[in-house]
Formats: sequence, C-alpha cells, structure tokens
Amino acid sequence: MMNSISPKAGVVTATAFAVLLTSGGFTSLVFAQGLPEGFKKGDLAPEPSAEMIEAGKRVYFTKCVWCHGVDGAGDGPGADRLWPRPRNFNQGTFKIRHTASGELPLFDAKKPVAGQNDLFETVTHGLPGSAMPPWEGILSEEQRLQVLSFVTTQLVKDRKFTDKQSETQTILNLADLKPKPATDESKNRGAELIVEKKCVECHGMEGRGDGNAFNLKDDWGFSIQPANWHKCWNFRGSRQDPYNVSNIFRTFSTGVNGTPMPSFADNTSVDERWDIANFVNSLCERNALGEPLPIDPLTDKPKINFVIPSDMVEGEIPSDMEAEAWQKAPRRYVAMGGQITHKPRNFVNRIDDIWVRSLYNDKSIVYLLEWDDRTKSVAEGKLPWGPTQVNIDIKEQEPKTGEEGSIAASQNNYAVYNDAIAIETPVKWKELPAPIKPRYLFGTNEQFPVDIVKWEADGSLRAFKGTGWDKDFEQRDNYEENMKVLKGEWKNGRWYVMIERPLGNKKDQDYDEDTFFEVGQYIPTVFFAWDGHNGDAGRKMAVSAFYYTFMNPPVPQETYIYPVVIAFGVVLLEGWVLTRRANRKKGKTL
Amino acid sequence: MKALMSLGALVGVLGLLLLGGMIFDVVPSNTVRLIEGYMPMQMLAEVACYVLGFAGLSYMLNAMGMGIPRFWQGIGFWVFLMMYLKFRVYPPIPFSVRAMYGTVALVTVFMWVSASEEDWKKFKQPIMNVLDAQTGMNRMLRYMYLVLLPILIGGFSFNAMMPKSEEPIELRTVHPAPPASTKVQGKTYVLQTSQSPYRVNPEGKYDQEYSNANIVEQGMGRLMKPNANPWDEKNQGYLKYVREGGEIFFQNCHFCHGDNLNGRGLHAFAFNPIPANFTDPGTIAQLQETFIFWRVAKGGIGLPNEGFPWASVMPPWEQHLTVDEIWKVILFEYWHTGYYPRTWD
Repeated sequence: MMNSISPKAGVVTATAFAVLLTSGGFTSLVFAQGLPEGFKKGDLAPEPSAEMIEAGKRVYFTKCVWCHGVDGAGDGPGADRLWPRPRNFNQGTFKIRHTASGELPLFDAKKPVAGQNDLFETVTHGLPGSAMPPWEGILSEEQRLQVLSFVTTQLVKDRKFTDKQSETQTILNLADLKPKPATDESKNRGAELIVEKKCVECHGMEGRGDGNAFNLKDDWGFSIQPANWHKCWNFRGSRQDPYNVSNIFRTFSTGVNGTPMPSFADNTSVDERWDIANFVNSLCERNALGEPLPIDPLTDKPKINFVIPSDMVEGEIPSDMEAEAWQKAPRRYVAMGGQITHKPRNFVNRIDDIWVRSLYNDKSIVYLLEWDDRTKSVAEGKLPWGPTQVNIDIKEQEPKTGEEGSIAASQNNYAVYNDAIAIETPVKWKELPAPIKPRYLFGTNEQFPVDIVKWEADGSLRAFKGTGWDKDFEQRDNYEENMKVLKGEWKNGRWYVMIERPLGNKKDQDYDEDTFFEVGQYIPTVFFAWDGHNGDAGRKMAVSAFYYTFMNPPVPQETYIYPVVIAFGVVLLEGWVLTRRANRKKGKTL
Repeated sequence: MKALMSLGALVGVLGLLLLGGMIFDVVPSNTVRLIEGYMPMQMLAEVACYVLGFAGLSYMLNAMGMGIPRFWQGIGFWVFLMMYLKFRVYPPIPFSVRAMYGTVALVTVFMWVSASEEDWKKFKQPIMNVLDAQTGMNRMLRYMYLVLLPILIGGFSFNAMMPKSEEPIELRTVHPAPPASTKVQGKTYVLQTSQSPYRVNPEGKYDQEYSNANIVEQGMGRLMKPNANPWDEKNQGYLKYVREGGEIFFQNCHFCHGDNLNGRGLHAFAFNPIPANFTDPGTIAQLQETFIFWRVAKGGIGLPNEGFPWASVMPPWEQHLTVDEIWKVILFEYWHTGYYPRTWD
C-alpha cells in the first residue's frame, strides 16, 4: 500500500476538508458524515458459501492459474512475458472499484449486478490493454461468481473481505449521480481543472500519458504508465463501453489502488469531477464528425478499414499538417501488434496503433504518420550495427525468469535505440496474381522482394530492399535523394512524421527494387514501428497486417453520362410495358 | 389448429420484437447471443422459428379478416430475410455474399407465391392494378413509379460507377491439404503414422481412451473434470504433460490465440487473418493431431499458396520450441477445449 491512502487517513483528510470548507462559509450536507461528496457508507458482503468456493477452485485451476499462479501471487507460467504483470491477489489490491481509495472492491457472490460488484464486472468485461480477456460468454455468470468466491477467500491473504474490524466500504454512489451534459463550458472547466489538480504532471500536457514516463512504479515496484486519454478503449476500467463518461468519473473518484493514481474524491466536488471526466472523455479519438469511433465487439478496439485512401492535390503537397488538404484527407487507424513470429519476438509492443493519412500529386505520394509514444528516443552515440543489418544482437525475453528478470521489470531499463517507423510495399506488385504478396515481414526472397522506406528519430530516411525475414537489407542506390522528410516532430507524447516518396517511373527509378504507385490500384502496404525506449531494434518491433494504399482516381466523365443514359432507357422501357398492357387489354375487351 | 397457430403467431411476434429491440438497442444487443461454433444451427433454428411465426401470424390475421395480400407477404418476407442477414449475423457478411443469399431467397419467394395458378394471380394482381390505373390511387402510384424508377436506377448506377476504395475480398483456405510428411529439426515425421509421444496413460503407454476421459467437460465454461486437475502434483502421464503444455502455451501462444484459446489474444486485433479459434468446432476438432503438428512446426511461412503464407503471422514454431514442446502444446490445446483429435481412418 505504498501510495494508496489508508481508509483511516482518508476519513481524516475528508474531515479536515469538511472543516476547511465549512469554515470558509460553505455548508454542505454531504460532508456531514465525514464522507467525500458522492460517496455513501456500505456494508461488507457476507462470506460466499463453501460450495461456491470449492466450485470456484475448479474454475480457477482450469482458466486462471496459468497467469495468476497456484497461490494467486500473479506468478503463473505466463507472467514473466507480460506487462502489465498479472494481478497478485495476495495483498487484496484491486484497481477498478466503486469504493474509496485503499478499500477492498465490491464483491458479493450473490449479487452479479453492474455497479454493485466490481470484481464480477472485471471478470465479465476484462481489463483492456492488458492480457485479461472478458470472460462473459465463456464462463457462466454462476462460474464467474464461483471463481471470485475462491479468489477473494483463498488467494487474498493479507486482508479479509468479511472482517468488520479492519475493512470498511465507502461506496461511490454512481447510480444516483447523473452525468453532467458535456457542454463546452463543462469541458473548458475540465481543461482548467486538469492543470490545477496536476493531472497533467503524469498524464502529459495533451493527455497522452507522457508526463512522467520513467519514474512511476506500482506497489510491487514495477514500472507503470499513466493512461493515454486518447485511447479510451485501452482504459482498464472501460468495461467494454469506452466512451462512457461515467467510467472516467469513477476512476477519478476512487483512484486506482496499487498505483500512483490517487483518488480525487476529497479535493474535488462532484460537479468538478464531471467537468474533468467530460474533458478527458472528449480527448478520446473520434471521427471527422466528432462521433465516437465504432468499436469492434470481437476485439474491443476501433474497427479497422484496411484501405488507406490517398487524395490527389494539384501542385505541391503541403508539409503543414494544418493545411486544408491534410485536414480533409481521411484518417485511418492502423492496428499494431508485437512482432511475435521470428526471434527476437516482441511480446510487449508499446506502440499499438498508428494514424495514417496520405496525399499524392503527379510526381510523389506523401504519408502522414502519427502515433503516440510516451518517450522520445534517440540513441546516444553510434549504434553497434549498420542501417542495413537485420540480424542484430537483441535478446528475446526468456519464458521463465522470476519477477526480477521479467519483462515488467525490464521496462525503462533497456538500452535506448532510435524511435523509428517504416512503410513496406511490394516491388513489381502488378506482376503478382492477386492476392499473392511478398511476405509481410521483409519480403519472401529475391523473386518477391519488398521496398522498405524507414525513418528514424535521428532524422534519417533510408530506402531498402528486403528479400526475407532473416536477410539483411540492401540499400537502394539513387533512391534516397528522391525522398524527403517533410516533417519529423515529437510533441507531448506523439510523433508526427511526413514522408514523401516518388510515385515511380521507369526513367528515374529502378523497376526491380522500387515500388511504382498507380492511381486506382490497391497497393499492399505494411507498417513497422519501433519504440527506442522499449529496446526496439531490428526485428524487435511492432507490425501491422497488410493494408492497401489506394490513390483515389479523379472521377471519370462517364460517371456523369451513363446513369442519365440508363435512366432514359428505363423511361423507354416503362413506355413499352404500359403500351403493351394497354394494347392487350384493348384486345381483350374488343 | 387455431390454438397451434395462435401460439406460432405469439412466438413469431415475440421473436420479431426481440430482434427489433436488439437491433435498435432497446434491449441489450446480446440478449440472445450467437454462440461461436453453433451459429449456423442457431441461425437456422431462429429463421425456422420466424417462418412459423409468420405463418401463424398470417393465419390469425386472415381469421380476423385483416389478411395481408400475398404480394406484400412475399416482399415483406424477403425484406425480413435481408435485414436478418445484415443486422443479426456477426461478424458481418460481405455484401456480395448477402446478394447471393438474397437472390436465392428471391427465387424461393417467387416459387412460393407462384405455387398455384390462384396464388400467382393474387400475387400479380396489385402490379396489374397499378399498370391499369383504374382508380385514382393507382393512377397516382403509376405516375410516381414512372418518375421514381428512372431516378432510382440512374442513382444506383451513378453510385456504382463512382470510384470507390472498398477492400478487395480475398478468400483463403483455412485448412489446406497437408503434405505426406514433414521434416522438423532434422527428423522426418510421416503425418499418417506419427503419434503424440505424450498422449499416454500413467504407465507410459499411448492411450487415446485414457486421455479422452481426462479432457475438460464440454458445456458452458469447459471446466476440467473434478478428479483430473493438471496442477495436481501427483499426476503421471497425460495430465502432467497437459500442464507442461499449458505452461508453454501461456508463455508463447496466448498472445494471439487468447487465454481461452478462442483467438482473441492481446495482439489478435492487429492481425489479418485473425488467429485461429480452437474452441470453434471447425478448427482443431476437425483435424488430426499430426496435422496440427505440421501447422505448428511450420507456421504461416510454411503454408501452401492457398493459405496466404505472406499474410499469416503464425510463427514457424520449430524456430522457438523443441519437438517435444510442440507435442505438449497440442496436447494442452485439445485438453483445454475438450475436443478429441480426429484419427486418419
């Protein structure tokens, strides 16, 4: 409990605040009981029955033991390659709750009700952004309650859910607190409050979680990162409903036990908390119309469109992101996973998406790539390998190391390399019968090579030819001088990189090693990203699936002519049918 | 008969209300969830239920003298089917496939409305009425169609001709034909004759019956049998190896295939094709253990062309695991999903 305030201390501070406020001419009834505003006293739930606990053991040893371990210490076989590590249940420290900071979460084996049973909801909806999946639809409601009965009574060892002497329940009364409408006024006030309440010190000036990226630790001494408010689908407490402002309100009111995130219940009013929640919620990525992104119910992440459209511009492509052409260009969400195919595998990729836009003119195509990276990383000194080297000496995380050597313990302790991004497209893709492509990872072989354009945080932009996952790159002659970095800037936890490359023509480029882009064609495109502070280099990186760059053709003339012709044809057809019917009827009556 | 029909009508109306409620978010959209693996049967059952419901409803309305003309019945049913395919089925079916189903459904509806001369006449009647335009209402309708049809068709063709950037559809073979044998870490395994060295009873003999008796129970949750806990220290043979396989699975495989082996792991959302769902009866339950061994050892890169080797991120596990570890992981996958591997005969 290093950072969480103990319940007693909480009450004391609350009273102190109440005194302060009343002395200031404030009379608030909610503080009368010594409770923070919006909270009410609750009772401890009764102990689950012995049958429930016994049945839960069976569930636990089928499903949970593999990560959470035999004794629930979060040290199962899978734990050392995970970050965040699986929860250690022994201390009874749980993140997502409706209870005051430091208190045990709500759990009642007889009451699987949303808003009144925190642990049940965690198991039901999972914890996005971690390896904990939603168990709804896999385990029945009964089974979820059973396994929690087992965990709370047998594996939580330092505290007791039914001990009236040591435990209290001060419950956030969320059901009775109606969300405040997210007006501009409310959001503006929230924007001021996050500075005043020092939220930005950890969460960063733009809320990308970059404020204090290196020094934050959880109760067990592992590095921990503040939430990125722009990716609400990764909020642990999002309960598969990421754009719901109440989730933010709850987390802000109760704090996150075991982490440096405190509860703000004692020093903010309910009204202020809604303002902050409204503002934080407004930062989460939205579409061009300001609507929430559609979320894929199978993955709980934004739905993916695999086509990256590129619009045409006349003349020079602007290098200013604020230019109208860029503002109008459609943005695409590109999902990134760890490279887990070949050694060294990247089990924890800290870059999990990229936003891509593209424009083209008669000579070149420009990609605008934006991605959140809490740490700007530029390698100090010269790297121990050349730019074309792929097979470099980067260690893969061992499967079983114990806590000290685990991937969670390595965070922020890696040698720092360059942040980087690369775009891969097949060479001579037109000659491949669709859907055949070179392999997603650096191409197949000499017959199916790929064109790789890689930008690194030291400002370099290089062009390679890839001929297989284990083949070092070949540097391409005369290509780099035709490319340009129009922008390469890290600001408040986000990289903005704009890369210009030639469309390709037989006169100036080499058909055998450069991709030629054509209007109206689907050009397979893969993205790679490296986070230097994650020790990413070589094949230790984040990868996307195959996307398609599609350069939108100008609308052809025929599009406006043929439909009119067709409509006219329909009119003629109608006339014919009517005449025929009329004639036949006449024939009949005559 | 009447009671039966009323019951059918009741079922149908309730089902329709529920479906509509789920689509328009009046009730939670997962009130009646489609269970993976059972979805086709579930869908057929649901549609059958609706057909019954419609039949009952139509009977009731007729009995009450408010019958709906055959013409509108046909159109209504077809529209219902299309809506069902579009909104109920998840993951969504691509338009081209829905168009195929739609055509088949249209033909069926035509067969139904033209089953007898009488029916066909009844079906045609409204169309003929509009063409003849004997009443004011029909005349108005006729002029409306005269204007609307060309505009609609012109609009559709304009939409169709506008350059669009929709994802090209790529159909991939999920279980390509396996080779006769595969060479892994210097040793050749003949797929027809190889056996898992760990599917053994406590005495150490290959024993499929013993292992089948100790897999998890089918049914909600797929829990282990109470007396077959792989974490029991005293285990010898099969269950001991299941546990070792599980350890390897949760150090290597769950990142994509998920904690419940349902293909929803941590990285799964980023990949296409999505990782295999072992709990689906269409994956490992359909395959032989040695087929899985080949797929695991060679990974995506080892697939024949119809399996899209360029897009699969499945690692060739021979690069990461020993042959023994691969067999153990496979053992665990069958244990955890409660399926038996198929045999070659």
